[in-house]
Amino acid sequence: MDYILMLLPSMFSGLTVTLKLFFLTLIAALPLGMLMGIARLSRIKPLKWFMEFYVWLFRGTPLLLQLLFMYFGLMTIGLRLEREIAAYLAFVLNYAAYLAEIFRSGIQSIPQGQYEAADVLGLNRIQTMKNIILPQVIKRVLPPIGNEVINLVKDTALIYILAISELSRVARTHVMRDGTFVPFIVAAIFYLIMTGAVQQFFKWLESKFDYYR
Amino acid sequence: MFVLQAHDIYKKFGSLEVLKGVSLQVQKGEVIAIIGPSGSGKSTFLRCLNYLETIDKGKIEINGEIMVSNGPNGHAVYSSDREISKMRRSMGMVFQNFNLFPHKSVLENLTMAPIMVKQMDRSEAEDKARELLNKVGLAQKVNNYPFELSGGQQQRVAIARALAMEPDIMCFDEPTSALDPELTGEVLQVMKDLALEDMTMIVVTHEIGFAREVADRVLFMDDGLIVEEGTAEEVIVHPREERTQAFLSKVLMAR
Repeated sequence: MDYILMLLPSMFSGLTVTLKLFFLTLIAALPLGMLMGIARLSRIKPLKWFMEFYVWLFRGTPLLLQLLFMYFGLMTIGLRLEREIAAYLAFVLNYAAYLAEIFRSGIQSIPQGQYEAADVLGLNRIQTMKNIILPQVIKRVLPPIGNEVINLVKDTALIYILAISELSRVARTHVMRDGTFVPFIVAAIFYLIMTGAVQQFFKWLESKFDYYR
Repeated sequence: MFVLQAHDIYKKFGSLEVLKGVSLQVQKGEVIAIIGPSGSGKSTFLRCLNYLETIDKGKIEINGEIMVSNGPNGHAVYSSDREISKMRRSMGMVFQNFNLFPHKSVLENLTMAPIMVKQMDRSEAEDKARELLNKVGLAQKVNNYPFELSGGQQQRVAIARALAMEPDIMCFDEPTSALDPELTGEVLQVMKDLALEDMTMIVVTHEIGFAREVADRVLFMDDGLIVEEGTAEEVIVHPREERTQAFLSKVLMAR
């Protein structure tokens, strides 16, 4: 017990790093993913093609490699990013690609009749998107987005590769130094609390949209 | 003066010719019923009239303004988007599947377009919406959501929603086809009331009884053409064309 108490300060500082990456990624990747999802359905062909390429690239390679590329890869061409910045960048770009696909499929799942009804009432494309389509899309994409957000909690552990001391790396340092498995268990409990909170939050959010079907 | 004129409309989906020269002139206050078998092009024709589909050839005029006409190369050329959206403002549309906005209450379904498109202020739009809901017999459903209503009630809301934009012409695309038989009556009644108020209406329908009772003019379409046209008495009771007779006997037999 004393050992665990002794662990906590450094575990909390690792947790802070983890949470910071988590929230910054979400704040940037959610709106970016939504815009990219809309862009993938654009009538402007080059934009659509670019988005398809983008999604293929960022979904098709490991996030770990993307992290290494953002830091070491860019360094070799003379662009030296802070390790944290490189990590945020890789996470935002990677998660935006996944979220773009979720938004795209959400938008495509809205029946054509909704567009037609808005159209004959005189709503323009932007009004239709903003007032008719996207509000319905959000209800439909909440469950898959909840999945991605839980993945994000766990994926934050990957930035250890850039020697950033997030939660799991702190735990590992303790395990190796102290020769006990306990820090891993403490870290696991931290992750479970975070994913549990995300799960409850999405459950609550989904219930907010129960007023219509 | 015609409120709507369509002249020699041609339309293809890929290589399939759906409309092969369809013309229609509608006078103010007239109720037109378009009947015919599935795939005859009647819904497509209606959808062309309010720009849900574009035509390949022909001319459409709404309130004397040209929405589309043939260019020098014989292909249809449309007016600017601005002009078209102004013209479409005078057309209301009711769909087979209602297409209400599920995330909006009944009241919001009615007030949304007047507020956003006509810049009507909210309280005025709401008063108007309540009045219309009262007219279609749904005053008590103002704050409900579409999923809480029966199909017939949803379709009545959809009619009220179209009326909220104060159109000159109401288009109905098989408005009762998605309804259980016991629910069609309430929708048809609302439409009859509208006809009695001299609303100009174009109704694509399978309800021969309704066409006979309410329509000033009945068009029988088959295979992309208007085969027969006349009063309900002429087309439904004493059809001259063989195809009309065959269709009617099939439809009337089924009941």
